[in-house]
Amino acid sequence: MRHVADGILRRLDDEPLAIPDRVADHLAGCGRCSARRARIAHDSEHAARLLSAPQLVPDTDVAWARLRRELHRSSEERAERRRGTARAARRAHRFPSVSLRAGLIMGAVGIVVAGTAVAATLTTIFAPTHVVPVSLSQSDLRAITAFAGLGDSPVLGGFATPSGSSTFRFGTIKWSSGVPTPASSLAEATAEAGFPVSLPAHLPAGVGAVQRFMVQPRVTATVTFDSTARGVGGSSVTLVAGPAVLTRYAGASGTDVPTLEVVTMRRPTAVSAGATLSQIEAFLLTQPGVPPQLAEEVRLLGDLRTTLPVPVPAGASVRSVRVGGWPGVLVADGANAAAGVVWEDGRGTLHLVGGILDSHDVLDVANQLS
Amino acid sequence: MGLRARHQELSECLDGTSDLADFETFFRDNHRVVVRLAQSVVGDVQGAQDVAQEVFLAAYHRFPGAYEQAAGWVRVAAVHTALNVLRGERRRDKRQRLVPDAGSLPSIEDTVIDREARAEVRRVLARLPRRSAAVLVMRHGGMSYAEIAQALGVKVGNVGTLLRRSESELRKEIDRETRS
Repeated sequence: MRHVADGILRRLDDEPLAIPDRVADHLAGCGRCSARRARIAHDSEHAARLLSAPQLVPDTDVAWARLRRELHRSSEERAERRRGTARAARRAHRFPSVSLRAGLIMGAVGIVVAGTAVAATLTTIFAPTHVVPVSLSQSDLRAITAFAGLGDSPVLGGFATPSGSSTFRFGTIKWSSGVPTPASSLAEATAEAGFPVSLPAHLPAGVGAVQRFMVQPRVTATVTFDSTARGVGGSSVTLVAGPAVLTRYAGASGTDVPTLEVVTMRRPTAVSAGATLSQIEAFLLTQPGVPPQLAEEVRLLGDLRTTLPVPVPAGASVRSVRVGGWPGVLVADGANAAAGVVWEDGRGTLHLVGGILDSHDVLDVANQLS
Repeated sequence: MGLRARHQELSECLDGTSDLADFETFFRDNHRVVVRLAQSVVGDVQGAQDVAQEVFLAAYHRFPGAYEQAAGWVRVAAVHTALNVLRGERRRDKRQRLVPDAGSLPSIEDTVIDREARAEVRRVLARLPRRSAAVLVMRHGGMSYAEIAQALGVKVGNVGTLLRRSESELRKEIDRETRS
């Protein structure tokens, strides 16, 4: 028999049953082929060692949620193209899917969490001039809750009482505000809030008359770090938000189900005493338990003194838009059945328009206000 | 958007439910191995997951309703997509090689050795001919000779030859890298 080819010698190590017996017989009596086989096996082991780095097990559930969200988004884009209303490629971010209701709840929760986190990262004055999205998944929220030691604290679900305090892992949060009050007209709401409020002249199909006006007085929340917060102990950050006016519209058919809400508020500000911005930010973002991707997103936001992060719940799609020339963030649920847009108009007023409408209709309303 | 249009869109979503369930089964059966293949090339889990996402998304559109036929394809696509990522990194790396990355400084000696070795392998993989790099990653990622043959469009009997040649090239390149 002729000498055995290199390829067969190589396969002999991996799949010996695929090699004819006569090859083994030849090897037993051929020193030259045996020596070649040893060299080939050496190179093979070397390659295996180099290419078998430790493998971490991927989280298939999370990956599937992420992919499903992306599939939904791409089919949505195709549907939009079919309707002939496709615009330039959307700069949509990608998130796992959740239901509309969960999305809205998450959004509300996320705003409180991020507001507190943002407040805590500021040192001097927080006076945002533009809004940017920050993705917030359910696991991020769980991680933040665990990290801050908040448990089921009402702080994460919003301030349940007009004033109070709550402890968290590194200190305390105290808040106070007036009770939200209904107003009988736009004029009354405007007078109560102390700033003008614009409403849309033309409403999308399906949206009925104004159902109610509500005025939320100013809310003040103070975060104080205790001595366990290394490097920032004793520092405090005070976040001031509001007042705000909420205008709620009913459905066109006369049902009580709200279809559109317009919120107008003074931009939030924060004042810090104690540690510097970089100290507090470094402390918070490097704590074990803070999701690395979230920390990275916060770092990428840039100057937090002028940037208002808009937490985007898992399952939502988000894109940057211009409302009356000002940068805004448009968030829609996975099926584009509900959407909201947030922007600051450059005059110190923050606007939020949202409802059970598609993103097109929501943007139409928003553009009428600027 | 009118109610009729919205209803039509929702109906389309519902019609795709069973197809999505099939795809989910396919995804769950193959995700781990695809990530593993990609990770052996790009080196990190996050990068590998991004590669996997891209590959499965493409498979969904490429094999509508026939995902069982896509098992081999996603493996091959993962390797090639990951190699593309690696070659992109290599181009960036050439520009940035002299800039130290303070954020990635290792803390213990083992980590240093491990990380350097893996970085070295990635550099070499990026330099090897694409087919050689692909066959190495496929075989050491757990693919059989038959699967590799199908993926590369060669006879099963030739896979051993390709693999032997690739492993020899890998050793020579590593030796060259070490000497330099």
